[in-house]
Amino acid sequence: MRTPMSVLRLPRGPDPNSRGFDPDSPRFIALCSTTISSSTDTETDSVQIGEEQCARSMLRESFLRTLIAMTNKQVQFYMYERVKVNAVFVASDIDVLNFQVSDLQTPIGVQKEALLRCQDVILYSFDL
Amino acid sequence: MAMRQTPLTCSGHTRPVVDLAFSGITPYGYFLISACKDGKPMLRQGDTGDWIGTFLGHKGAVWGATLNKEATKAATAAADFTAKVWDAVSGDEVLTLAHKHIVKSVNFTQDSSCLLTGGNDKTIRIYDINKPEAEPQEITGHTSAIKKALWCNNDTQILSAADDKTVRLWDRTSTAVVKQLSFDMSVSSMEYIPDGEVLVITYGKTIAFYNALSLDLIKTVDAPASIHSASLHPDKDFFVAGGDDFKLYKYDYSTKEELESYKGHFGPVHCVRFSPDGELYASGSEDGTLRLWQTEVGKTYGLWKCVLPDFLSQLSCVLAGSPPVCHIAIG
Repeated sequence: MRTPMSVLRLPRGPDPNSRGFDPDSPRFIALCSTTISSSTDTETDSVQIGEEQCARSMLRESFLRTLIAMTNKQVQFYMYERVKVNAVFVASDIDVLNFQVSDLQTPIGVQKEALLRCQDVILYSFDL
Repeated sequence: MAMRQTPLTCSGHTRPVVDLAFSGITPYGYFLISACKDGKPMLRQGDTGDWIGTFLGHKGAVWGATLNKEATKAATAAADFTAKVWDAVSGDEVLTLAHKHIVKSVNFTQDSSCLLTGGNDKTIRIYDINKPEAEPQEITGHTSAIKKALWCNNDTQILSAADDKTVRLWDRTSTAVVKQLSFDMSVSSMEYIPDGEVLVITYGKTIAFYNALSLDLIKTVDAPASIHSASLHPDKDFFVAGGDDFKLYKYDYSTKEELESYKGHFGPVHCVRFSPDGELYASGSEDGTLRLWQTEVGKTYGLWKCVLPDFLSQLSCVLAGSPPVCHIAIG
């Protein structure tokens, strides 16, 4: 009877909380500076890339602050297929794939808790 | 002392794995992408099977997936009528190419500048990735859904297999058919080996090898069960095949002799491919898993480690002159 081949460990499975592509991995660090496609396309220099990064950081921060401001407020979501729904925004997941909402008002009733798929949302608005 | 194959199971997909592809060898090793009916193709480290990331965005089953040689770009073909191009380092979606029906196959040129797509609308399309808004070049002729479309002959020609039971060789510039092969049944899979210009085709229980330039038949081998996919080793000494009976078969390419068969999957094997260094092969199955298999069982590679129980076994291994590649682990 043959001895089974030994393995050091099993292959690592997916992380349930994220889509992966670890930004701290050596490959990401080495290669990702060139994946800002707008910069590489127009062959901008490092000063302009720096400015672009500042602008990106500002926009990202503003966006994250709007998510905070939206918490527990009534938000109108305009979605595809002419869907317009109101709900109380609770949270977003880390990759902004899903929004957790409460009291989602739908034509067939109020859903106490729901997840909205972000890629289906065209725009959303709320009062500050 | 011969060792028994221990396949490495990669879990994570929740539905059948229908396609898989390896990248070339990069400074960071080589990579593997898997297409799954759950709509979430995954990127893995090729030699260990470790999950790197999931490409999120498709709204339907992903039927085809591929990586460019450098593993910097990925492309996927899905039932949501789109093909997508992804940044394989960040996982971000780069392009969505709308089609008129389910897309089944995607393939990059060597320089990653063009993407070949094929699917249920029976049309082969060539997209310039740097000019995605431009209309793709279209190649028509197939009378049924296209299963696979591959660049060949230094990206000057295209090989396509469709449910109309033909495999066609097209000239890229003229878009005309150069040669055609007809079969009694649908071709289940196709693999193109640029080095040596070999085309591997599977249909029914047969694995057939053709010259990719002339489409002349080299040889055929019949397996015990219906085969869904086969792959030829880079050194052309072995080939592996898998299909309906859930097993992986390993054959000697020259003698056509069946060398080994391995059980492991809990469902039909849909796809199998050798890694670019030939040290392992990966299989994807209806059971939702990918499994990695050693080409040379007993060799220390990736997560496999040759560990012998004690000195006496080590001695008997050396004396018996058994597979000379069993590295003795010290400490």
